[in-house]
Amino acid sequence: MNASLKQHWLDQTTHLPGSLDIRGLGKQYAIEGKPLTVLQDINLSVKPGEFVSIVGASGCGKSSLLRLIVGLEAQYSGDILLDGKRIDSTSLERGIVFQDHRLFPWKTVEQNIAVALKNHPLTKKEKTRLVAEHIQLVNLQGFENAYPHQLSGGMAQRAAIARALINKPKILLLDEPFGALDALTRVHLQRELQRLWVQQRSTMIMVTHDVEEALYLGDRVIVMDARPGRIKHEIHVNLPHPRERHSPRLQKLKDELLTELVGSDHVEVAHV
Amino acid sequence: MNSLVHLLRRGRGLLLPMVLIGLWEIASRQGTAQAYAFVPLEVIGQGLVELIDSGALLISTLASLQRTCIGLLLGVTLGIAVGASMAMSTVVERVIGPLYHMMRQVPILGLIPLIALWFGSGEGAKILIVSLAAFYPMTLNTFEGFSHIEPRYREVGRVFEFGPVQQLTQVLLPSALPSIANGALHALAFAWVSSVGVELFLSTGAGLGNLMMNAEAGSRMEVVVIGVLCIGLLGYAMNQLFTRLSQHLLRWRDTR
Repeated sequence: MNASLKQHWLDQTTHLPGSLDIRGLGKQYAIEGKPLTVLQDINLSVKPGEFVSIVGASGCGKSSLLRLIVGLEAQYSGDILLDGKRIDSTSLERGIVFQDHRLFPWKTVEQNIAVALKNHPLTKKEKTRLVAEHIQLVNLQGFENAYPHQLSGGMAQRAAIARALINKPKILLLDEPFGALDALTRVHLQRELQRLWVQQRSTMIMVTHDVEEALYLGDRVIVMDARPGRIKHEIHVNLPHPRERHSPRLQKLKDELLTELVGSDHVEVAHV
Repeated sequence: MNSLVHLLRRGRGLLLPMVLIGLWEIASRQGTAQAYAFVPLEVIGQGLVELIDSGALLISTLASLQRTCIGLLLGVTLGIAVGASMAMSTVVERVIGPLYHMMRQVPILGLIPLIALWFGSGEGAKILIVSLAAFYPMTLNTFEGFSHIEPRYREVGRVFEFGPVQQLTQVLLPSALPSIANGALHALAFAWVSSVGVELFLSTGAGLGNLMMNAEAGSRMEVVVIGVLCIGLLGYAMNQLFTRLSQHLLRWRDTR
């Protein structure tokens, strides 16, 4: 084949579904007329099927980053490319789980999960089957007709995860999904999420405060720094799944991460 | 014993009315003048039988109810439309808002002579007044309901690529429903009261208010009492109906 055709074919295959490319991303907010730089020169590449954890101090722009990727914020400088296409609005291809589950209070669990398929081209029967499948996936059988106020925090978050996954998004974003839950539920749901990820292998990006959680779930852990938000450090967690929370390597990485996070505070204090 | 206690608990709402009825009867037996003001129960009973026999009670009740229903329908529909659009569009709010709030301050009784002048004193004018009475609270409550929709639910809608109609039906309307239901309840009360009240001013046609006015002219106080009781009972019944309906529609709410 001639040169141009070959190049075209190469371009197609290098962009596998669910690959994210962030180049030189910058985001500013105007606070009382003055610009506040929330994100500065973010460069990140996420391979298809990869699980990336993001940790960082408060105010480092983690949530803003996620909101930009999912398309809830559209103004930014630089590029965010999903499979080569620039992101400028929300899409069913990108799902998100928020810290507050954000299930519609006026819908039952089943209706909440089904609402994600409103704009999906499937027959009614297929949709019903898919919803039932996903309720089973997150172990909420029997609670189809419960309203969100009747669910515990963990259950509601599980429903939110099912709702986010049902569209089989190319990339799933999780913004501190277990931050509002108690420690026991958190451990349980971390295991659930790992199971789901191993099963579905969708690309996932999770923001969390919990360093151990970041290492338990992520292939890579990105450390962000604040004021302005930028990427400081990156750790490759070369451990097979499913992981042991108490493995020596994990604990060593945890120490390394904590030093990265806490160490930067010391530096700032010294400057002052 | 248990069933008696249970029965008593169910009927505790009737306790006070029963006591008042008892006091009423005692008062009516104190003398002829008192018997005029506090019509003896026996006479009330006779009057009731007569009204039902002649069909006058049924006709009056139906007339008042019909007016209330039509007026409610118009007032509530328009109220939701105006309230929602004022909440969702600053342009609409700036254009209609001042006029609405100004008109709202004028008691409807004060508007009746004007309305009678422009629209006559027939059924149409009465329905207009009832609609207006329902419109004011409905608009206000709908406005409140649509103003306080949490943006985080709208964001969920955006994530799932909701179009504007879907945002309205899946997010905005259900979110505003508690306020809308509250507005409807108030609108009902105002509509019912003004439906009867307007007959006192524009006294053509049938209705409970008319029934009472004519009875007073003929010194038939028992009919007046019956009229009052009917108005109260019907209003209570409609209120119960609306409350049950809204409880069902709002069963998703956390009532703790």
